Parts: sequence; C-alpha cells; structure tokens
Amino acid sequence: MSEEKQLTEKESLELIASMISKAKNSYIDSGVGPLYWGILITFCSLMSYAEYSLHFSIGFDIWLLAFFALIPQIYYAIRSKKQKKFTAHEESIMNFVWSTFAICMFLLSFYNGVAHPAHPTALYMMVYGIPTFITGGIRKFKPMIIGGIVCWICSLTSLYISFPNTLLLMTVSSTFAWLIPGIILRRRYLKLKHV
Amino acid sequence: MFKELDPILHSQLRLAVMSLLIGVKEAEFTFIREKTNSTAGNLSVQVQKLKEAGYIDVIKQFKDNYPQTTCKITPHGIEAFEAYVQALQQYLQAGKG
Repeated sequence: MSEEKQLTEKESLELIASMISKAKNSYIDSGVGPLYWGILITFCSLMSYAEYSLHFSIGFDIWLLAFFALIPQIYYAIRSKKQKKFTAHEESIMNFVWSTFAICMFLLSFYNGVAHPAHPTALYMMVYGIPTFITGGIRKFKPMIIGGIVCWICSLTSLYISFPNTLLLMTVSSTFAWLIPGIILRRRYLKLKHV
Repeated sequence: MFKELDPILHSQLRLAVMSLLIGVKEAEFTFIREKTNSTAGNLSVQVQKLKEAGYIDVIKQFKDNYPQTTCKITPHGIEAFEAYVQALQQYLQAGKG
C-alpha cells in the first residue's frame, strides 16, 4: 500500500470500509472457552444426576472439577493474551463480565453451603444466564442469546421439579449456553483458519 | 460550502491505519503492517506523521525481551476521522445531485 496514491472520495470510503472489516474479521473467537466449560458443566451435571438417581458415589464432589478447571483456563487466557497482536474494544468489558460471573459462582457455592436454599440449582442457572446473555448481545451472537434465555427458563422450571431431576435442567442449560455455541464458534474458527 | 478533506488523512496508507485503529482498542505495529500490506519503513514514517498530528498514540515497550510498538487512536484522532468521513459523504452526495 502506498502513501502517495491520491484517492478519490469513493476510493477513500471503500478503503475505510475494507479496513474496518479487516479489523472486525481479525477477531474470531476460537470457541475453546465455551466448549471447555460446556463439556465440563454438562459432564458434572450428568455425573451428579447419575450419582443421586442410581445411588452410588465416586468418592469426591464432582463439582470440584469446575474449580480445578480454572487452572488450565487461566493458563490458556494468559497464553492467548501474549500471542495477541491487537485488543478489541469489547474485550475489557467481556473480561469484567466473566470475572463477575466467576466471583458470583464462587460466592454462590459458599451461600449454598451455608444457607442450604431450597432450590440451589435455580440460583446457579439464573447466574449462568447472565454472562451468556450479555456476551451474546454484545457480540451479536444469537446462539448465546438463546443460551442465556434457556438458562433462565430452566431456572424457573427447576422450581417446580424435584431434585435430582433439576440436575438434568442444568445439563440443558450448559448445553445451550456454552456447549452448542462453543461447537458453532469452533467450527467457524476452523473454517476461517483454513480459508 | 464543502469542508476541506484533512490532508493528514487523505492519503492511502495513513487512512488505512486510522480505519484499522478505529475498529480496535489498540494494535501492534506488526498487525497494522500485515493488514495494510505495507513495508515497515513506509508504515513507520506514516505512523510518525499520525502521531505528530496527535491522531494516534505510539507506545514502545519490551515484550519477552523483544521491542514492541503498539498504536492506539486518540480522542482527537477519532474526531478527525469522523469529520473526514462526514466531509467525504458531503462530496459524494454533491456528486449525485
């Protein structure tokens, strides 16, 4: 690209549109985060459901996996940040939204441990929906908007369903909120990477 | 009365750099070079001109022992860019009329 070339007004507008589009297309979510958490939470919910309904124990709380899963997630986030050559406008907002979610989940597990509420899964699913819906809205990514809404519907429904069947609703929530969007994002990422 | 097109922005490479930076919070020099398809020398000169005009901030630092240059559009740069786009639209509308 040369600095000297004199542009017509039309060429200038075309150049602006093309560069804005290049910047926009540079930000492609690899889908690793939602896929990773989607698989993990779906697995934990199903395992927990199996333990309660089939009356067996694996010897430890399966939900501890969600805490340990933060370690590779943090490592991946640091590595991605180092490799990144630009920062998108919405990234800092996303970081705040998902950090808020992580903190709320941590506090909620404490709250459930101490207060023993009647419908703990309803609270979890309500919180699951918040960052998912916001992310979908900001990134204009419909599957996550739908995922967020599904979490809230499941949260409400769980008030009328007995435990451990509510755990199946957790499976539905995590599948719609993260697993399906994660698969869509991953497929899109791999397709664009090979173009 | 037509607004005059900003001569700082009315050049292919400088306009490309500004258009790219308006879409992101900040970007590394290598990213801009790759997206604008320019040479390091030419880009360096144009980035300096944009910096002197106060349209962008250039941050030089070290990352993993390698020098890293990051560019970021300034509020003044955003204003100038918006004014430039408005002026362009004025010219194009006049051409249609």
